[in-house]
Amino acid sequence: MRWQPYNRGGRLAVAVMAVSSLCGAVAYAEIDGITGSTFNLTAKTGYISGADGLSLHVWGYANGGGSIQYPGPTLILEEGVPVTINLTNEMPEAVSIVFPGQESVTASGGDAGVLTREAPPDGMTVVTYTFTPTRPGTYHYHSGTHADVQIEMGLVGAIIVRPTGYDALDPSTWRAYEHADSAYDHEYLFLFTEMDYEIHWKLEYGLTSQVDTTTFHPVYWFINGRNAPDTMLPAGTPWLPTQPYNCLPRMHPGERMLLRIIGAGRDMHPFHPHGNNLTVIAKDGRLLESAPGLGADLAYSDFTLASVPGQTVDAIFEWTGEKLGWDIYGHAPGDPLEPNEYAPDHGKPFPVVLPGQLEITFGSAYSGSPFLGALGDIPPGEGGLNANAGYFYMWHSHNEVEMVNNDIFPGGLMTMLIIEPHGVPIP
Amino acid sequence: MNITKIRKEWWFCVSVLAALTVTAGSTSAATVTVNLRAEATTKTMPDGITTVPMWGFAVDADPVTVPGPPITVTAGDTLTVNLTNNLSVPVSLVIPGQITTMSPVWFTDGQGRQRVMSFTHEAASGGGMAVYTWTNVKPGTYLYQSGTHPAVQIQMGLYGSLIVESTTPGQAYDDASSAYDEQLVLLYSEIDPALHEAIDNGSYGTTGATSTIDYNPKYFLINGEPYSAATGPLPAGVAGDRVLIRFLNAGLKTHAPTLLGPYMKVIAEDGRLYPYAREQCSLMLLAGKTRDVIMTPSAAGAYPVLDRALDLTNAGAASAGGMLRILQVNPAVP
Ligand SMILES: [Cu+2]
Repeated sequence: MRWQPYNRGGRLAVAVMAVSSLCGAVAYAEIDGITGSTFNLTAKTGYISGADGLSLHVWGYANGGGSIQYPGPTLILEEGVPVTINLTNEMPEAVSIVFPGQESVTASGGDAGVLTREAPPDGMTVVTYTFTPTRPGTYHYHSGTHADVQIEMGLVGAIIVRPTGYDALDPSTWRAYEHADSAYDHEYLFLFTEMDYEIHWKLEYGLTSQVDTTTFHPVYWFINGRNAPDTMLPAGTPWLPTQPYNCLPRMHPGERMLLRIIGAGRDMHPFHPHGNNLTVIAKDGRLLESAPGLGADLAYSDFTLASVPGQTVDAIFEWTGEKLGWDIYGHAPGDPLEPNEYAPDHGKPFPVVLPGQLEITFGSAYSGSPFLGALGDIPPGEGGLNANAGYFYMWHSHNEVEMVNNDIFPGGLMTMLIIEPHGVPIP
Repeated sequence: MNITKIRKEWWFCVSVLAALTVTAGSTSAATVTVNLRAEATTKTMPDGITTVPMWGFAVDADPVTVPGPPITVTAGDTLTVNLTNNLSVPVSLVIPGQITTMSPVWFTDGQGRQRVMSFTHEAASGGGMAVYTWTNVKPGTYLYQSGTHPAVQIQMGLYGSLIVESTTPGQAYDDASSAYDEQLVLLYSEIDPALHEAIDNGSYGTTGATSTIDYNPKYFLINGEPYSAATGPLPAGVAGDRVLIRFLNAGLKTHAPTLLGPYMKVIAEDGRLYPYAREQCSLMLLAGKTRDVIMTPSAAGAYPVLDRALDLTNAGAASAGGMLRILQVNPAVP
């Protein structure tokens, strides 16, 4: 009997089905963002949605005349190609942009501020920032004005600098840095932030003088601007118009996934992947190398990654099911190996006698089988969110209080990694 | 030879080591004696109105400061501190990372339990004196601080920096990778005015709070002062210099100094040199931690170093404040 999908009307069901339907539409894996050498950003006010239904007043960077985005548009740049970023300001107070990790930024126009030049809140004055990203890697940008409030309010965004020679259509060029140690099959952005809604409410109602960031007490935590489970919805989903980026990492066994991790809020976040350790290869856009050209020879394996505010980390994740002690595909000893299968466990039996269906509770992502790529019997009304029979691993903040949406579990700084069986297309 | 190598200059003037120490060429270990006293003082916040009760250290007859006076010695020296305690509670002195014999002081609590009050021997309140000695000190950047009821006494201001220079002039450690042309100290700390008030008026532990669990700092200091519009830039050498920045965190919170512009080579932590320096523009600075970095700015400029944990306000005020400084790098002299 073949497993039949049930659409239970939940958001997650919509998410997974929609992601599946995207598969044919995109030919290659890239982090969502905007490319080019000139960007026109507008700082303005707007609203985002919490996964618990919250509507929150925020300040954000918009691409041109569009609506704000949280986080701001991911700027995808090319190593050595100068960029110009023009900023205008439709917010109630002066605003600016700083670019940590970019060594020679020039600013012109607007007014002098403490950290850089600022755009006054007149909707017209243009401040222009120019720099040449001389080194590839993962970076971020944020407001350099009234930063304790403005970063809280949403004025942050990611920057990715592609190395010379990168070609989105040629997987052999997919590297974060100019070394094979940073080569990958899939890349995903993990931009972490948090919010204290009281600050947002006060600013929405113009109670500016009552805002005191020293009493900061966040109750919402975000990956790429969304709380779980919205992190797993498709990118660009129409009912999250100001939160276009998702975070649903997917890979096949044996592939290399690059995580571009950005501590864009003000708190530390201990990020914990299930399934395997991460290998940290770079920080702040610099490979962890003992000498130039040696690659990530100082890379280290981490079980819980310390994401530091203002710091970017690049990490590689790999998974084959190695050393589970049983065959994750449920092979018989004489069966052929799957690609990248961990051979020593080939054909080893699953060491658990599965209880009968009346003895167990079914998770919504259970395929009905313990084996990767296999579907099994599920009672009517159960399961249904794992049409490919992948393995789901929760990736989350190990500060578990950050896995809630205003005190409601599960949510917050959390998403799922999906190990997809071979043959399942991943965009 | 008995040299008291105390720099009395203002913290933000501390930049050129070579001009301030007398260690150059010295290879034999010295005994350095510092006469410190612990005393109450107050600090006026940038609004010009708010004053906060503090406890601080002073050397000899100097005024009390927070942080206490910077102490600089050389690796291998013997450091002796004669501590006079003019506070109303016992205090003691410890230097995490430097080895000495510790003599903890115990007390009996209300339930008859023996508990540690001080990590080592105390200078009694009301003018008592105690002597603290460290022999064969190791090079690096350290905090000296109270070893008595530290959750309260360090918060009240009983901390300062100890710099132990390498025996090789112009190097922070016994390795060429730590060579520098200029150095400066950035010591981070915080003030929770309500806690200070409670300790000062005696309500802490009696009618008021009984612990620091509700710690809620309002002021965020670098070298004893929050940033304000009146804060000038910090001189940080000239373009092309190797500028050693010693970061210390005497506060109770983690801070994340980020440098806009040049990168920093992070060379050491807690007075221990890393085998390999790492190039970063951000820095995790945990409570009680010291980290040493070298920045080599290729061009003159004003480079902000801001706390990316966003403690950038003075008690919630909208203007720039807190843990922010502008490092001024001047053009190279042709
Ligand atoms: Cu977990």
